[in-house]
Amino acid sequence: MSSLMLTLRESVRYRGRGGHYSWIAHRLAGLGILAFLMIHVWETAMANYNPPVYEYAIAVFKHPLFGLGEIGLMGAVLFHAFNGIRITLLDFKPEWWRHQAKSVTIVWGVFLVVFVPIAIYMLSGIISHCGHGANCWAFPTYPVS
Amino acid sequence: MTTYSGVTHRKVQVQSNFERYAFLFMRLSGIALLILAVGHMIVQHILNDVHSLTLQYVADQWSSWGWKVYDMLLLFIALPHGINGLRNVLEDYVHGESAVKTLNTVMAIFLIVSLLAAGFAIASF
Ligand code: HEM
Ligand code: HEM
Ligand code: HEM
Repeated sequence: MSSLMLTLRESVRYRGRGGHYSWIAHRLAGLGILAFLMIHVWETAMANYNPPVYEYAIAVFKHPLFGLGEIGLMGAVLFHAFNGIRITLLDFKPEWWRHQAKSVTIVWGVFLVVFVPIAIYMLSGIISHCGHGANCWAFPTYPVS
Repeated sequence: MTTYSGVTHRKVQVQSNFERYAFLFMRLSGIALLILAVGHMIVQHILNDVHSLTLQYVADQWSSWGWKVYDMLLLFIALPHGINGLRNVLEDYVHGESAVKTLNTVMAIFLIVSLLAAGFAIASF
């Protein structure tokens, strides 16, 4: 436990340059996607095994709070994907390490260019859904009629 | 040993075969997921209409062989990739030998049961 605390503290304290933040972001994004995925595959399997549970789950997912979580998930998948490709390229092409600092900047740049419009699109979807007069903040009750 | 401007790299003997394959698997599955996982997010969030997600939508998807295969590939690549990633992360923070063994067993069982349950849900729909 103390070594865990030490590792966590030192991870944040180490002031490496861009690559260090990429490493933390890659790790957190990977773990976040996995947390979602472990729930997601079981929840989706209910479409076959227990349809009322599935109906309820997707009704819950339509709550605006989950909508924000989905935007975060989209960002996590995109960043982890682009940065993962960067890691793979550098692992198999050591001679490209000369460009390592530049590659970090490129990944963040491509990520922002792709993610920001998608995030705005998703956010505007949530806002317009909540503007239809329906009480979008209410949580669904089980079973969904 | 070869030296490029400022970068030194050398061939080293890698100890365990399993770790070598795990390393390669993470990179190859990553490339596959670039298409499968990002594609899945685009399909679910940009091509479809959100609030049109219903049981019927899933039934339509899984009545098509193409989407069944797509979801199967996604399932069988993303979950092992994520669990092996988790194993890598835990290795950095957990050092006791028996604790590592217990965690690895729990993760392996969870992975196998999830793949069977979710895979069967797709196959038998
Ligand atoms: C993780 C749980 C969720 C699931 C499984 C889910 C399902 C979906 C699906 C299938 C789409 C298609 C996207 C699209 O065509 O835009 C979508 C997008 C979207 N979802 Fe979700 N959703 C979830 C959470 C939420 C929540 C809580 C909200 C809040 C209201 C929400 C709002 C939206 C919006 C606004 C879009 C894009 C809407 C548009 O096209 O205008 N989602 N979601
Ligand atoms: C919030 C975003 C997401 C939404 C709305 C969503 C929605 C769905 C839906 C509606 C299905 C049913 C089948 C289909 O339509 O093809 C499905 C299945 C699946 N999704 Fe997602 N998904 C999301 C994110 C993800 C991510 C990030 C991953 C993997 C990294 C993933 C992996 C899978 C897998 C493996 C299946 C098959 C599940 C099973 O066999 O039980 N999904 N998803
Ligand atoms: C979208 C395409 C993806 C690519 C290109 C990709 C690539 C990679 C690569 C190359 C690594 C190894 C990093 C290293 O050894 O330093 C990695 C680690 C990891 N990935 Fe992915 N991945 C993708 C999707 C996913 C998904 C969907 C999940 C979740 C289910 C995930 C979870 C993880 C985790 C937890 C790690 C361990 C992180 C760490 O060691 O710090 N990845 N990924």
